[in-house]
Amino acid sequence: MGEISTKVLVLGGGPGGYVAAIRAGQCHLDTVLVEGTRVGGTCLNVGCIPSKALIHAAEAYDHARRQEKTLPFGLKVQKPSIDFAKTIAWKDGIVARLNTGVAGLLKRNHVNILRGHGVMLDGKTCRVETDTGPETIRAEHVILATGSVPTPLPSLPFGSNVISSTEALSLAKVPETLAVVGAGYIGLELGTAFAKLGAKVTVVEATDRILPLYDAELTRPVARHLATLGVEVLTKAKAVGKSKKGDALVVEVGGGKREIYAQTILVAVGRKPLTEGWGLEQIDLTMSGPFIAIDERCATSMRNVWAIGDVTGEPMLAHRAMAQGEMVADIIAGERRVFDKVAIPAVCFTDPEIVSVGLTPAAARAAGHQIQTGVFPFQASGRAMTLAAEDGFVRVTARADNHLILGIQAVGAGVSELSAAFGLALEMGARLEDIGGTIHAHPTLGEAFQEASFKTLGEALHI
Amino acid sequence: MSYDLIVIGTGPGGYVCAIRAAQLGLKTAVVEKRATHGGTCLNVGCIPSKALLHASELFEESGKSFAKMGIGVSTPKLDLAAMQAFKDTGVDGNVKGVEFLLKKNKIDAFRGTGRIFEPGKVEVKGEDGKTQTLETKNIVIATGSDVAKLRGITIDEKRVVSSTGALALDKVPGQLLVVGAGIIGLELGSVWRRLGAKVTVVEFLDRIVPGIDTDVAKNFQRLLQRQGIAFKLSSKVTGVDASGDKLKATIEPAAGGAAETIEADIVLVAVGRVPYTEGLGLKEAGVAMDDRGHVAVDAHLQTNVKGIYAIGDVIAGPMLAHKAEDEGVAAAETIAGKSGHVNYDVIPNVVYTYPEVASVGKTEEELKQAGVAYNVGKFPFTANGRAKVNMTTDGFVKILADAKTDRVLGVHILGPDAGNMIAEAAVAMEFGASSEDIARTCHAHPTLTEAVKEAALAVEKRAIHM
Ligand SMILES: Cc1cc2nc3c(=O)[nH]c(=O)nc-3n(C[C@H](O)[C@H](O)[C@H](O)COP(=O)(O)OP(=O)(O)OC[C@H]3O[C@@H](n4cnc5c(N)ncnc54)[C@H](O)[C@@H]3O)c2cc1C
Ligand SMILES: Cc1cc2nc3c(=O)[nH]c(=O)nc-3n(C[C@H](O)[C@H](O)[C@H](O)COP(=O)(O)OP(=O)(O)OC[C@H]3O[C@@H](n4cnc5c(N)ncnc54)[C@H](O)[C@@H]3O)c2cc1C
Repeated sequence: MGEISTKVLVLGGGPGGYVAAIRAGQCHLDTVLVEGTRVGGTCLNVGCIPSKALIHAAEAYDHARRQEKTLPFGLKVQKPSIDFAKTIAWKDGIVARLNTGVAGLLKRNHVNILRGHGVMLDGKTCRVETDTGPETIRAEHVILATGSVPTPLPSLPFGSNVISSTEALSLAKVPETLAVVGAGYIGLELGTAFAKLGAKVTVVEATDRILPLYDAELTRPVARHLATLGVEVLTKAKAVGKSKKGDALVVEVGGGKREIYAQTILVAVGRKPLTEGWGLEQIDLTMSGPFIAIDERCATSMRNVWAIGDVTGEPMLAHRAMAQGEMVADIIAGERRVFDKVAIPAVCFTDPEIVSVGLTPAAARAAGHQIQTGVFPFQASGRAMTLAAEDGFVRVTARADNHLILGIQAVGAGVSELSAAFGLALEMGARLEDIGGTIHAHPTLGEAFQEASFKTLGEALHI
Repeated sequence: MSYDLIVIGTGPGGYVCAIRAAQLGLKTAVVEKRATHGGTCLNVGCIPSKALLHASELFEESGKSFAKMGIGVSTPKLDLAAMQAFKDTGVDGNVKGVEFLLKKNKIDAFRGTGRIFEPGKVEVKGEDGKTQTLETKNIVIATGSDVAKLRGITIDEKRVVSSTGALALDKVPGQLLVVGAGIIGLELGSVWRRLGAKVTVVEFLDRIVPGIDTDVAKNFQRLLQRQGIAFKLSSKVTGVDASGDKLKATIEPAAGGAAETIEADIVLVAVGRVPYTEGLGLKEAGVAMDDRGHVAVDAHLQTNVKGIYAIGDVIAGPMLAHKAEDEGVAAAETIAGKSGHVNYDVIPNVVYTYPEVASVGKTEEELKQAGVAYNVGKFPFTANGRAKVNMTTDGFVKILADAKTDRVLGVHILGPDAGNMIAEAAVAMEFGASSEDIARTCHAHPTLTEAVKEAALAVEKRAIHM
């Protein structure tokens, strides 16, 4: 049995863990990264990247299908076909390249990658079962980055045709019928992709609307588009199990029961932190609900034990994990830093896309602010017209007294790429006048941000 | 009838100026000689070109990248008439929008050619030849620009065309010769290449897209060449013989030397635009011009004649719609007694080819010339996850930051969706942000904008994904 001594040990090689390790390497800290499966974590292997690949392919296929009949661009294509096995192989190719890429980056920064399941024996020691036998690592600093796993539903345990997002990203073929339980962003992103690929999709949501974390105004264009795609959405509906024959999902809705025939049932009711099976009980850290409790430096209740990413709480997003990872490595290297992000953008890669940065109008009011808010619709955007993608808007919320921008939301085709401008504006403490006074290139979607700021000031130029 | 403000020309400069003035309570009128509002930009510029660029990109994409994703499609057939109709719908929607906005803001619109009689008086001559005279306290000249002509080449808008004709071709040319490797020539060259034309671009200088960062321009040229566009740099077109079935263009090395002839079905003259002041009566009104034919203005956009202002393409500076708009807002505010202001250091610039090129602030050459010490942070899209899944990995983000203060001095993006990404850089530069400010801002994953953050990290040599 081998023993390794190191300055930094990172447990888990997802976006939180691998970024922390790379940054630690850049800071010349002796670093070991322990990963049980493949580096890149949920995000690269079974999350952000493969889902966006599938979404991209589905959109291309859908586009090709609609080209002749309903799209205005003057292109005629015969009925397109899809070879789904090839689509999945293409996606796997991208994932593999990114895995290799991340492993290469880690090596280049002199990070020692140890493949195997790690178990913490105490706050400084980790035992890893590698292919060549167990190893024990002793470290001055431990960064816990074990991430999260899909939450199961007791009435619909994963197995056979009840799948999580992980399996949904590697199906052998497009199911004819798909029931999606949970209309959060993961369920809707994948449900939309499969609908575009030809599945008959039904979405079952317990609350009264899709994407319950976002407000109704923001989600309306998505709901509209789901209807166009023929996706049936059942709200205030509860999935209670499979039918006796096993060929349908049983749903309680409107006071009655309904059976939804489904070859495949995707349960996407959220993710939970991975806090079991790796010795957390041995180190007995303070918890915050199901998550490991951290302070603004990502320090846990034990000295020199840090935690980052999905295991530490909401929002469970890759870029939050990465930003925390970067920061913790800096702190261990001696920099004085705290996690003081004003804005962590949230993006739904639905159709159309949704972005939310900072507070929504309702949240701002609830926080006791007197606010002003304004919306600029893409119908009035020249760029959106040239893209034939006019559904959606940008909405800005600011304090009424000094016009400090508190939040920015957008829904529309391609708005994910505006999220950085929104985030930066909040980080800079921008006021409405600042954004109004920044020249935005014409014709771009970003002009809608400037116009929404004008609108909030009561001075919109293009509506 | 007497007005507080009359704006001559309703391009993006003029109509925005009028709307802002009306919002500020000025009694405002506009004069426009074209049948529709919106000027060059909406009628024969930004909007129709972007519509064709988008549609032609889809056309090319379905033939190119779909198979890799397992999508089988027949080679798409082009219905050019339908594509042109799509473009026209986009234009129509936009110009109607402006008409609605003018009405909504209670701005009087006069159809006809405006002439400045004397300060405070504008004469409008309608199509029927009838004239009327309007009185006003202030005048804004927003008459825009016109296509620059080349000696020896007559534009007939059928076979020898300007951008206006090139936007309205009813057939894909077999061979298209583009004179001028500026933004307009490359955008329209790209459209017709995607739709099947063999495109050659002739440029007088030894580089394409003058004004854009040289490093970006070089890489951009390489990518365009890979797509099949041929370039003849350091060359000039001295004449086009239109007597035969095929056009015959004579091309000479810029430095002089033996001429050669290139055949083409269409020649697109895209050597720039010149300020348009014909028939405005500026001389009579005593308005001074600069030596390049622009209306001369001071820092408040006022001409040498009190009460007469000018904005947009007709004055000096980048000929861009958003620059015209911002000047429109500033002029209206100044006239209304507020302090309008344009920050000429932060005007973004976009080329809507594939990949796109977008930049804001200084280029490396400009910084070198000014003797400013700077650091460079660069990040390629090949290392960006979103670009990978979209199969659009060409290009990079480059950030130039002051070596002493780390203040961002310029951002240059060659890559997919660069036009939407440049907004972040513009906001950052308006705030005098440092590269560290961008680097420490949480960028959503997976988006292309992560490449901007990584380039900012790279300024201090600490990019994560490279
Ligand atoms: C379908 C889907 C789509 C998503 N889309 C997006 C999106 O578009 N944008 C976004 O920001 N986020 C998205 N997410 C969320 C994102 O994937 C997570 O927020 C992110 O991966 C969290 O990173 P992490 O480093 O905390 O953990 P993870 O990525 O979960 O990584 C944890 C790693 O630790 C390893 N590990 C755990 N325990 C051990 C152990 N004991 N020993 C060794 N190794 C261990 C695991 O194998 C794993 O590789 C998506 C998630 C899913 C499921
Ligand atoms: C093909 C092409 C593509 C372009 N793409 C872009 C782009 O993507 N982004 C960008 O920012 N810019 C682009 N431009 C440049 C942009 O169109 C101009 O910068 C912009 O239109 C300038 O606005 P303006 O208001 O100054 O003038 P114009 O838009 O030129 O408007 C002037 C108006 O004044 C009217 N007029 C002139 N004289 C008189 C008179 N005496 N009486 C009454 N009316 C008069 C004209 O009819 C015209 O309508 C493009 C230009 C072209 C040609």
